[in-house]
Amino acid sequence: MSGSDNGTFQRWQAFCGACRQVFGMPDYDRYLAHAAVTHPGQPVMTREAYAVQAIERRYGGKGGARCC
Amino acid sequence: MKAIRSFAGWAAIAVVGALSFAALALGRGQSVNAVWLVTAGLCVYLIAYRFYGQFIAHRVLRLDDARTTPAVRHNDGMDYVPTNKWVLYGHHFAAIAGAGPLVGPVLAAQMGFLPGTLWILVGVVLAGAVQDFIVLFVSTRRDGKSLGQLIRMELGPVPGSLALVGVLAIMIIILAVLALVVVKALTSSPWGLFTIAATIPIALLMGIYMRVIRPGRVGEASIFGVVLLMLAIVFGRHIAESPTWGPAFTLTGTQIAWAMIIYGAVAASLPVWLMLAPRDYLSTFLKVGTIAALALGIYVVAPKLAMPAVTQFVDGTGPVFSGKLFPFLFITIACGAVSGFHSLISSGTTPKMLEKESHMPLIGFAGMLTESFVALMAITAACVLEPGIYFAMNAPAAVVGSTPAQAAQVISSWGFTITPEAITQVARDIGESTILARAGGAPTLAVGMAHILGTALGGQAMMAFWYHFAILFEALFILTAVDAGTRVGRFMIQDMLGHVYKPLGDTDNLAANLFATALCVGLWGWFLYQGVVDPLGGINSLWQLFGVGNQMLAGIALLLCTTVLVKMKRERYVWVTLVPTAWLLVTTLTAGVQKVFHPDPKIGFLALAHKFSDAAERGVVLAPAKSIAEMQRVAFNNYVDAVVCGVFVLLVLAMCFFAARTCFKALRESRPTAREIPSSFAPAGGGE
Repeated sequence: MSGSDNGTFQRWQAFCGACRQVFGMPDYDRYLAHAAVTHPGQPVMTREAYAVQAIERRYGGKGGARCC
Repeated sequence: MKAIRSFAGWAAIAVVGALSFAALALGRGQSVNAVWLVTAGLCVYLIAYRFYGQFIAHRVLRLDDARTTPAVRHNDGMDYVPTNKWVLYGHHFAAIAGAGPLVGPVLAAQMGFLPGTLWILVGVVLAGAVQDFIVLFVSTRRDGKSLGQLIRMELGPVPGSLALVGVLAIMIIILAVLALVVVKALTSSPWGLFTIAATIPIALLMGIYMRVIRPGRVGEASIFGVVLLMLAIVFGRHIAESPTWGPAFTLTGTQIAWAMIIYGAVAASLPVWLMLAPRDYLSTFLKVGTIAALALGIYVVAPKLAMPAVTQFVDGTGPVFSGKLFPFLFITIACGAVSGFHSLISSGTTPKMLEKESHMPLIGFAGMLTESFVALMAITAACVLEPGIYFAMNAPAAVVGSTPAQAAQVISSWGFTITPEAITQVARDIGESTILARAGGAPTLAVGMAHILGTALGGQAMMAFWYHFAILFEALFILTAVDAGTRVGRFMIQDMLGHVYKPLGDTDNLAANLFATALCVGLWGWFLYQGVVDPLGGINSLWQLFGVGNQMLAGIALLLCTTVLVKMKRERYVWVTLVPTAWLLVTTLTAGVQKVFHPDPKIGFLALAHKFSDAAERGVVLAPAKSIAEMQRVAFNNYVDAVVCGVFVLLVLAMCFFAARTCFKALRESRPTAREIPSSFAPAGGGE
């Protein structure tokens, strides 16, 4: 995408982030940001481990009820 | 100045809405443009959200941003995440909108576009959106607890357990009826069946990509998944025309039913990342994209409504489903007007992501209004079709016969003139061998969508593509729902069995898992199978059983909301939930009792059972049964349906009793007795 225009690029990234949340997609960057705030200095999951865990949490648990 | 501008804006919306309704009401004798219908709906939604939604927020519930929400209190970056309100609105909408709002309105179109439209609009504003909003409120103030837990907390343990049994029963019926919709759409349709079958390997490929090749890259996997799906649709035509592959993909209803049952059992036993997750993402993208495209399409094409405002079938003699407008319209259109199932979402993931209480009207109330808009588009898509085509697709063979010539004759005799050539021409346009007896909503909606999208993009030549795209779009999320629903049903069954025999409740035990999965699939599979062999086409019995169940759940959720309002000492505003509760109880109980006891075998389960068992005793075989044994099976199936329906009715009555008892007790108290988490509850670290 337009890497030259920083503002546009950031807005594009924010838009992608919002879409990921709407569709419940794993968002590694959001996880990293969250971990940096809540558990600074502690080890974080790799992208692979995070993805595995995010899918498992969304679909594997008791939740996942969706409508007709 | 700002106030004046706001007033002028809302007055303008009110005027546009009133003009649209005038166009609908005054267009007697001539066809009305669908744009008026959709615009009237949009204006109702805007006004309802701005005024009624805010009234509930400020006066009835008194939302308070000083209270911490569960998302903020437990923020763990995974389940509990404070989320931007627009993002959560989208997330909530994606979770609540499924096949329901697309199927019910299409079936109800047999009574004309007006009864269904009015019920969708009035129902959503006064019942559906209120339910979703207040359940979200109740759950958020109780740490995001689920509906069953909330009922247990506020009404007591017995009603809590009863509600869970009800939820499981509805879940089973929903899975069966959704699977039946797919069966009806794919019977003798090699093109459709091939594209749906192709989604399985595509999902597996995506799953492996997301897990092994590029972990977590859902977007990339979805893009190539969508491309492969489109290729599957295009390629499906060649499969259908191939002399070897065409017959291989041409299956009967019972064969597809068995395929669905086996698919459900296998899919629900696979790891979630392999098939469920990729397909769910795929179907969510398609769902949101298609709904947006349909809305645009209606405004671009501006089709005329070919269906009359009201047809003669309000008297209960309709071929699609039997029974009078009251109460059957109100249970046929469940999702889109009011859907009990939403109370499970509003008390599930959504309250765990809510950042502030003041976001609730947008997410709970407006989220439901948006689903209602989907229902409105579904009814529009069904009503832009020639009524003759609509009835040819939706009436069972027992009523209109099984050839275009017979169907055209019967349907024309109802006053909807149609020629056999017109029926075969539509089938040819959409690339199918027949359009007869395709009840269940999906195919009708698909033809309507193909009509709208085809006119906007690609013309006649693209009709077949858009038809199969629409079938794929619906079947995709129905199959996802079957997979996910079977898993949820399995957990619920294990939860219950665990009380009887501990090891069966162990969700980590493979044998216990498989047993519960088999039980769940067996239950919905049984209803599916009997729906497929049902003499009246199955939709007539199963969709209404589902409607009764779903509205019953809505009644239970609204009883909970009413009880909570009373316990909060807001009895002044209790009409907000009491009025829709009363309406739902009246319609559901009337419909439930009629479905069981009505003397007309087209409506009453017992009457149909007696008809078949009596004939069997006399040694007479009634179509479509081919032997005495089949006759007895039809009779037995209808006894079971009667029992399920009766159980729903008793469940509602029991919940009424418990709610009334709790309410009267709370009225005698001088202080609020609702069990909210105190507003001063310390954030972070706090658990139970």
